[in-house]
Amino acid sequence: MRQFMKDLETNPKAVLKGIRNAFGVPALLLFSAMTGFGSMAQEQGLSLYISILSPVLIWGLPGQVVHVELYGLGAPLIAIVLGVAGANARFLPMTLSMMPVFDGAPHNRRWNYFLAQFISINTWAEMLNRGHQIKADRRMAYFLGFSLTCMIAGIIGVFNGYMLFESMPKMISLCLIFLVPIYFGLLMSNTIHPPFLLAFVSGCLLGPPMHLLTQEWGLLLSGLISGSLAFVLRNRLKGSGNIKEVNG
Amino acid sequence: MADSSAWIFFLSAVFATYVWRFTGVMISHRIEANHPIFEWFTCLAYGIIASLVARTLILPSGMLEEVPLWQRLIPMVFAFLGFYLLGKRLWVGIVFGETAFITLLWFGEISSL
Repeated sequence: MRQFMKDLETNPKAVLKGIRNAFGVPALLLFSAMTGFGSMAQEQGLSLYISILSPVLIWGLPGQVVHVELYGLGAPLIAIVLGVAGANARFLPMTLSMMPVFDGAPHNRRWNYFLAQFISINTWAEMLNRGHQIKADRRMAYFLGFSLTCMIAGIIGVFNGYMLFESMPKMISLCLIFLVPIYFGLLMSNTIHPPFLLAFVSGCLLGPPMHLLTQEWGLLLSGLISGSLAFVLRNRLKGSGNIKEVNG
Repeated sequence: MADSSAWIFFLSAVFATYVWRFTGVMISHRIEANHPIFEWFTCLAYGIIASLVARTLILPSGMLEEVPLWQRLIPMVFAFLGFYLLGKRLWVGIVFGETAFITLLWFGEISSL
């Protein structure tokens, strides 16, 4: 598993490798999660066009869910904007931390604004964990192959959910929904960097109580506290940290 | 149903998400490659995603809410055991977790009859 990435000599090969690596658990996950979203969108009266465009243009399930829920409730526009922005705010730290993966790639850096649209927890974790195994100039091709496969699986999932969810046995729907926390729990806990692991564990512990405290900002606050705590402790361990930075 | 206001709401939601991605790229282009902010923001991302996962599991919304908490937590433990004890393969963890989940649901249904 470790050497194969280095053999990617051409962009088509890298795209194909990305497609192949996504085809399996990552695509299945997107299919399942978006099936749940599709059924929800149908229930809330969203049109099929918007439902199918949602994974393409928003591409972040929590924000998609907030959009559909608030739309169904007839909430005002500003509530939807703030709600979605809050639910998908993780894309700022995720995008920022993923960009060094594309450093040293020959493409014009303006393309990064386009590539950022394809970042999801799935594709972000893939590039952070395995991106360095690929030659810098093949990473964009690999990333696009991987991400587009996930996205297409998601679109098929939305369609499937929109059309079929009501006739699906409840047991299957529950299993599809339960797949999401299992998958992301395993994926995110599997990191070799102690600060990331600490951020993960403390985020798990803080998330639910903070959510009870404030539904709108609970996840962000909990992530901010646990992530910063992990960062500070990592610097103290090394003895070279600039702790003031955390306040910025 | 598919009137223009639905599209305005949708495109606003699209904008509210993309603005974060855009800001992330913009900041990354303005700072040095090995700036500590990259690691800090990776920690933040881990923290936020972990909070999201824990909330989905412990305080779910929708259908999963009807399943008792222990019937969600025990399968999660099985998923982690399967994953970490058997060579860190995602599909193994998922099979372990889902099997435990289905088994508990099945017994739950029988005992509630």
